[in-house]
Amino acid sequence: MSTISIQSVSKCYQNGFEALKNVNTEIHSGSFTVVLGPSGAGKSTLLRLINGLETPTTGAVRIGGEAVEEHKLRHIRSRVAMVFQQFNLVDRLSVVTNVLTGRLAQRSWVGSVLYLFRGEDMAIAQRVLARVGLTDKAWSRADKLSGGQQQRVGIARALAQQPKVILADEPVASLDPVSSEEIMTLLREICDRDGITVVVNLHQVELAKRFADRVIGMNGGRVVFDGPPAELSQQTLRTIYQREGIEDDNSLDLALAYA
Amino acid sequence: MNVHDLNSARPQLPPKPRNPMPVWVAATLAMLWLIVWDLEISFETLAYGVEDMAEYFSRYRQPDFSDLSRYLELMGITLATALWGTVFALLVAFFLAPLAARNFAPNPLAYRIARETLNFMRAMPDLLLALIFVAALGLGPLPGALALGVHTTGFLGKFLAESLERVDKGVCEGVASTGADFPQMVMYAGWPSILREALGYVLYILDRNVRMASVLGLVGAGGIGLALHDTLRLFNYGQSAALILVILATILIIDYASAWLRGRLG
Ligand SMILES: Nc1ncnc2c1ncn2[C@@H]1O[C@H](COP(=O)(O)OP(=O)(O)OP(=O)(O)O)[C@@H](O)[C@H]1O
Ligand SMILES: [Mg+2]
Repeated sequence: MSTISIQSVSKCYQNGFEALKNVNTEIHSGSFTVVLGPSGAGKSTLLRLINGLETPTTGAVRIGGEAVEEHKLRHIRSRVAMVFQQFNLVDRLSVVTNVLTGRLAQRSWVGSVLYLFRGEDMAIAQRVLARVGLTDKAWSRADKLSGGQQQRVGIARALAQQPKVILADEPVASLDPVSSEEIMTLLREICDRDGITVVVNLHQVELAKRFADRVIGMNGGRVVFDGPPAELSQQTLRTIYQREGIEDDNSLDLALAYA
Repeated sequence: MNVHDLNSARPQLPPKPRNPMPVWVAATLAMLWLIVWDLEISFETLAYGVEDMAEYFSRYRQPDFSDLSRYLELMGITLATALWGTVFALLVAFFLAPLAARNFAPNPLAYRIARETLNFMRAMPDLLLALIFVAALGLGPLPGALALGVHTTGFLGKFLAESLERVDKGVCEGVASTGADFPQMVMYAGWPSILREALGYVLYILDRNVRMASVLGLVGAGGIGLALHDTLRLFNYGQSAALILVILATILIIDYASAWLRGRLG
């Protein structure tokens, strides 16, 4: 089981800014969840807490009953993979090496620091590269690929971890509509076929409606909506995207009219 | 309107500001004259001095390459000294730099210790280190290589640590999010990202060590510097000139070679 449970989590950054305010939620194993919300709502913070890239100020995050804690990060991260908006690949390394990075947590540093991998790891890398359709780019340098291809390498790296959970922080924000569609389809298929829990931060309401099982709406560090995408009415969208201190927000109405 | 009218209508300018420049120039000249007078410099001897210098340098006019094979061998020893000093620096810096980079260091204590060690090594002048090592280990290239190694580890380590600190935060997080540990972070997110910069630093240090190794010969650390020291003391101008030319040529070749190498690594 790999249910993610977020228990009374608050996050106060060093500068005193409270990015999350007492968030409570459970994300079920094998589900596809999309987190929506305006910029600064705390979506990235929430995702980064699950992977241990940030630590909660109060409260706890558990994955399959195990708390995400400093001394267990290697173990937790080996099961909770992350996909980034800027792909975050190592530019100078080949596509295969970037994918093999996903195997690091399973191997001691002794061989891996010399870029030596076992045959089984190479087999996994080949399988996931075929899965994302980049077999022929295996030996290219990562920074020679297009944005869409780089994001597929990012997903391949995540898959190589053979994780229980994949967290994707705005995975399509830097991509064109066609690549965005490909990436979302790929993530959905990973969820359906491998039973991997997928949590995606998005800015596109339309993509959320089409791909998500469940939508979590955030605003000002709180969860303000939680339900299936079918319940995303104009009214709920207004609640999710409303801006502090603005009652009749014309640009909000305009922006949501076509959502 | 005639000319007279124009003159009578001339508006008054504000008072002219005083320009202190002539005073400064005069004062400076007076000062210079005082100095010349005080040092009893006569321009006559200065002119002879220039003549003397010209005469002195003209003694180097005919480089004596009769012993060239020995000079090349000595240059080879000096190059080897510089190379081993650089290899030493690279090896030690390779392990210390990641510890001395804030974003990679596994804990603050390791960071502090690595930083201070590098600072200490950098603060020890290599000429002084060479004197000490020569006294401890005897004459020869080994103390020279060690002196260069210790001193330039401080530099190289600091340069590399600062490059590592500039590695994109996202790239670090990308590798860290897979669960990589400290050595894996360094080998996957660290070194590959700064490879080009690091090569530049290593070549710069090698370049510098070749120059310095020639000088270290003077304190007994062997190589071409020692030979130059001897020929200069024996007033053997032809051989000195040849030795100086060999050193200059070598440094130029190394310069071009490192520029070429850096260009190759895109
Ligand atoms: N390291 C940090 N230090 C201080 N404040 C931070 C830090 N990271 C984020 N914040 C602040 O926390 C708030 C929430 O940030 P977060 O990145 O989680 O928002 P987000 O919902 O992902 O926004 P976006 O849609 O723009 O990515 C923002 O106001 C941001 O300025
Ligand atoms: Mg964000």
